[in-house]
Amino acid sequence: MDIVFTMNVKSRKQLVLPVMRRRFFRDWTRRHSGAMRRISLLGAFFLTLGLSGAGLTKVWAADAEAELRESSAVVDSPVMPTLRFDNVKSKHGFTLSGLDARLQLVVSMQLPGQLCSDVTHQVTYRVDHPAVVRVSDGMLIPLQDGEATITAEHANGMSVDLQVRVENTGNEAAISFPGRVVPIFTKLGCNGGGCHGKLAGQNGFKLSLLGFEPREDYEHLVRESRGRRLSPASPDQSLLLQKSVNTSPHGGGKRLDLDSHEYRILSRWISQGMPYGSDDEPQVVSIEVMPEHRRLSAESSQQLSVMATYSDGRVEDVTRAAVYESNDSEMADCNEKGLVHLKDLVGDVAVMARYQGHVTVFRADIPVSGSTITEDAFPEHPENPVDRHVFAKLHSLGIGLSPVCDDATFLRRVTLDLAGRAPNALEIVEFQKDTSPNKREQVIDRLLASEDHAEFFAGKWNTILRNRRTGGALRFANVAFHQWIKEGITENKPYDQFVREIITASGSAASHPPVVWYQQVTDTNQRIEDAAQLFLGQRIQCARCHHHPYEKWSQADYAQLSAFFTTVSKKTGRDPLEPLVFAKLGGASARHPKTGQTLKPAGLDAQEVAIGAQDDPRTHFADWMTDPSNPFFARALANRYWKHFMGRGLVEPEDDLRVTNPPSNPELLDGLANSFIESGYDLKALSRLIVTSRCYQSASDASPENIGDKRSYSRYYPKRLQAEVLLDSIDRLTLSPTKFAGMPAGIRAVALPDTGFSSYFLTVFGRPESTTACECERSQEANLSQSLHLLNSEEIQSKLAGDQGRAARLAADTKRSDEDKIRELYSIAFSRDPDDRELKATLTYVAAKENQREAFEDVLWSLINSKEFLFNH
Amino acid sequence: MLSILGPNSRCCDGISRRGFMKIGGLSFGAGGFTLADLMRAEAASGKGSSHKAVINIFLGGGPPHQDMWEIKTDAPSEVRGEFKPIKTNVPGIEICEVFPQLAARMDQAAVIRSVVGCAGGHDAFQCLTGWNNKDLKSIGGRPAIGSAVSKLFGPVDASVPPNIGLAKPTKHVPWSDSGHPGFLGAAYTPFKPDGPGMKNMTLNGITIERLNDRRNLLSSLDSMRRDIDISGAMAGMDVFGQRALDVLTSSKLLDALDLSKEDPKTVERYGDGKPYQYQYDGAPTCNEQLLMARRLIEAGVRVVSLSYGRWDSHSANFDLVRDHGGKLDQCLSALIDDLEQRGMLDDVTIVVWGEFGRTPKINDKAGRDHWNKVSCAYLAGGGMRTGQAIGATNRLGEEAAERPVHMQEVMATLYHNLGIDTATVTIPDPTGRPQYLVDHEPIRELI
Repeated sequence: MDIVFTMNVKSRKQLVLPVMRRRFFRDWTRRHSGAMRRISLLGAFFLTLGLSGAGLTKVWAADAEAELRESSAVVDSPVMPTLRFDNVKSKHGFTLSGLDARLQLVVSMQLPGQLCSDVTHQVTYRVDHPAVVRVSDGMLIPLQDGEATITAEHANGMSVDLQVRVENTGNEAAISFPGRVVPIFTKLGCNGGGCHGKLAGQNGFKLSLLGFEPREDYEHLVRESRGRRLSPASPDQSLLLQKSVNTSPHGGGKRLDLDSHEYRILSRWISQGMPYGSDDEPQVVSIEVMPEHRRLSAESSQQLSVMATYSDGRVEDVTRAAVYESNDSEMADCNEKGLVHLKDLVGDVAVMARYQGHVTVFRADIPVSGSTITEDAFPEHPENPVDRHVFAKLHSLGIGLSPVCDDATFLRRVTLDLAGRAPNALEIVEFQKDTSPNKREQVIDRLLASEDHAEFFAGKWNTILRNRRTGGALRFANVAFHQWIKEGITENKPYDQFVREIITASGSAASHPPVVWYQQVTDTNQRIEDAAQLFLGQRIQCARCHHHPYEKWSQADYAQLSAFFTTVSKKTGRDPLEPLVFAKLGGASARHPKTGQTLKPAGLDAQEVAIGAQDDPRTHFADWMTDPSNPFFARALANRYWKHFMGRGLVEPEDDLRVTNPPSNPELLDGLANSFIESGYDLKALSRLIVTSRCYQSASDASPENIGDKRSYSRYYPKRLQAEVLLDSIDRLTLSPTKFAGMPAGIRAVALPDTGFSSYFLTVFGRPESTTACECERSQEANLSQSLHLLNSEEIQSKLAGDQGRAARLAADTKRSDEDKIRELYSIAFSRDPDDRELKATLTYVAAKENQREAFEDVLWSLINSKEFLFNH
Repeated sequence: MLSILGPNSRCCDGISRRGFMKIGGLSFGAGGFTLADLMRAEAASGKGSSHKAVINIFLGGGPPHQDMWEIKTDAPSEVRGEFKPIKTNVPGIEICEVFPQLAARMDQAAVIRSVVGCAGGHDAFQCLTGWNNKDLKSIGGRPAIGSAVSKLFGPVDASVPPNIGLAKPTKHVPWSDSGHPGFLGAAYTPFKPDGPGMKNMTLNGITIERLNDRRNLLSSLDSMRRDIDISGAMAGMDVFGQRALDVLTSSKLLDALDLSKEDPKTVERYGDGKPYQYQYDGAPTCNEQLLMARRLIEAGVRVVSLSYGRWDSHSANFDLVRDHGGKLDQCLSALIDDLEQRGMLDDVTIVVWGEFGRTPKINDKAGRDHWNKVSCAYLAGGGMRTGQAIGATNRLGEEAAERPVHMQEVMATLYHNLGIDTATVTIPDPTGRPQYLVDHEPIRELI
């Protein structure tokens, strides 16, 4: 992208910069700092540059708005220092219309070799016509009609001008209730779910949640207890205002200052006789946050500006009226004025801004400061697209990549992640002996084809598909559904087909096992919510009762989605315990919960579907979901699998792919989703793509260049073994299999057909109960009970001390040397040989103990309790 | 992060139920706590300082509201019953004659005579959560106060669970409920001294010498770098592993449960509640549990739930109340005195209540049957404005005539006293929806 700057040179020192090219910047930034790339230049349009000391140089930017928009706001940094207003797009400056209009100034400074920084609250503002407009806390406030120039001056002498026009201060327009008053309630939290926004209201006063139903709010406020809440004759005596400033006792305390913009608007609206406004008044059609994406240094801050565009084309600053929220409060937070404070972590963070049902996101990348990481730090021309995207991200953030992990670590890691178990002795030896260059790929293919892989992944799906016994005993249906899932994974059934067969399931558990999903998830709402969360990564449930506060989904969207499921019915089959699931004939439709309007089925963001009289509407739902153009389906799965292997989703939580919760590496998520679609929804191919990447095979150990990284995959993030895998590993190490009621001896915990088997061990290590579609039910958190159980439970002690256990066998075996025995233990526990120090420590311990059996029990105990055993690393 | 009083307008934003970087745990749940927070919290809660806590005493079966804190002297004899009111040390407040010691401490307590909103279930669920047990059932149900507080605050001391249930098993199982974690998941189940976790607190099959040998070997072998783990689980396991070993050598928790470590004079003041009468399928009148509750809170527990007696007086109502009431009078007043003496009364809230009230009309077995239109509660401590009687029933004790107080208001008051603003604090459920702890506000007369 080229930007042509027109020069308006006033100084002796002319900056010749007719054309700026990307390559030029790249060379420049490489020379100066590896971390200095892709600097945001968003909205640098009405740009005045002052260079003091060297004399004033004004550079006028051409109105290159379209081009810059295209560049999605992240462009290379200019070489000359600039100071600019960031959020005013027109070269004619900004017009404030009416006394209520505001403009939040956003001033950025760009110095060579440094990241762009926000200086909105550091510069001094001067106004050439102070009667027209004033600046307060970085905010422009109109005073009377006229024109003025605002000059922002930095302490270093740089300055920049902004032309402002004020008009319409003479006419007091009627204040619109939905347009002006409701946003104040939202901003102040009056209509939040904890206060008047809850279903029952609060202390007799009810508002719709987040103001999504302004008509209802108006009725409650104006018509109910008239004369008490609002008093046009004496607005300040209105209960609404007295409560808001807490002069009349208010459970919510003081929400407003008497001397505030919001108070004055409310007061004026009351004095105008509480006009509602008209239904055809301009509506907000979009909001935009500026800047949109920026690279910032840690512990800096950024003032945001939010502009709303109305249906009549009018653009208005709503920065103070919008509501903000950071998606990761450890990285950044944002105050009510739209000022973002970054903390000391490196990575990326998003801040959501919401106004009148519209949402948008500001994204910040926070690179390592002073990083010396260059392109040379990454393998050249990575074949795997995963690596290309991860390396690009790491490079841009100045984070180093950990080296490739050794073979022993790789084998243990990939076997745990693909098969849910550690490698056995034979696998370890064979892998060691194998000298072929693609031996890692071969192991991956062997594991993907193994039954252990199918068992492990069947368990994963089984849990979130809520296949769990109800009441006491395991039912045939549970076993059948589990088996069906497992077979699907074994034969590598395309994921679209897998989902389609569940969604369109009809018949009995015996004839078509996925009907069990319909038996477990029993009502229409729950089904659509589960399906949306599981397969689309959309948490649509919010929109059941109100407009989704963090998405665009309305109650109509919810109803239309649920309409696909409204014809599903159950009847008693031959076996009363095994009901039949089927779809009734006839038009599928759902009623809008507020308007009562009958709505036809439609996917999210999709057209209504024409469904034939004989059709099962669920087929159309499956068609829509699994269509390659569906924006949610492949991405949701790609993110879910990525998290399984990499320990952290590109979107967290993994099933919450909101627009306001953007992925940490959007290109990577798109890449994964696209290749998944292109492969024909091949789950094993997706797993293979991830685990064959250089990124997956990085060592988990950190260097000073990447110890601070928690989300960019500069190394493999260790994961505690999940409950079932851990129990299986202990069983194998101690040679003491756990018994599960009614199951064949020796069955692995990961292969159990549901999560209803009683086991204190599994419970304490966070096995989910499979009551929801959320993977978050599985807890990987540490706690005291776990430690006590591993260190000192009867269960573990009996496994260590069992007569048939490994310690007893090793102690009884007089033929092998102690060293040999220790090597065996290390191989099974850690998939590697002990080093000299470890060997010496254990041999000394065993030699010093009179009771050999106890000595080996103690060694086993120490191995089980060490982090290397408990974690996949 | 330790302060959770700030505004929290999160909604449907899907923070994972057990967000990463958190250390939590079965009965030791510390979700919402990073390791650093945990350390800070521990450091801050050193000797001398007291944390906010709740002792939730459930009167299983439903105590007769008209024979406890409001004697219906104006009612006809078939309703009035046998008891006479006695004066308390607060002028104008009279309570049942079986509580003379509590009457002498009325200034330190508040009674609510008009509790409403009882669902009618014969269980402790509402007294533990404030909610109907059908609410949010499809995602696991509402968490009990102890579980919610564990989630929000974590442990005061990593070796002592923040949420303990002392209720002994009863034949009518719902009366020995110590609170379910609901949608928070099993990690927030209350710790029970007779549960499987308890056995792990004393050495199983090995001597302390051998444990020390094992520790030494482990520390020489367990060399993996902890700081490479972004989830915090490794560091968390280290901390809890260390605490676990501490527990095995000397356990604050076991000590707290061991009443032989208490001054015998104190034990005597509480009484033993024996002989246990009218117990049938319910809980015993185990007076020591109130003392145990105090000791547990001193050791760092935040919420202790227990079940006291069986108040389901379908027959012999008055004999039962005389027996149970007299015993409760003794141990509850001893508890109040103890907390007062230790300077803990402002930090510890005691609530004594049941699942519903009982019928105004006395039946032909001198009993009273179930009555869920109105019930009662006794509250003490917690820094509340005590010395009050709130609300009243009508002449026959049939319904709340003045100031109906919803069960959730009582629960909201408990949360409030723990330092939790129920108007703003939410916990995300597994679907990501933020759930408020209760829908009602704290009792305004008390806070």
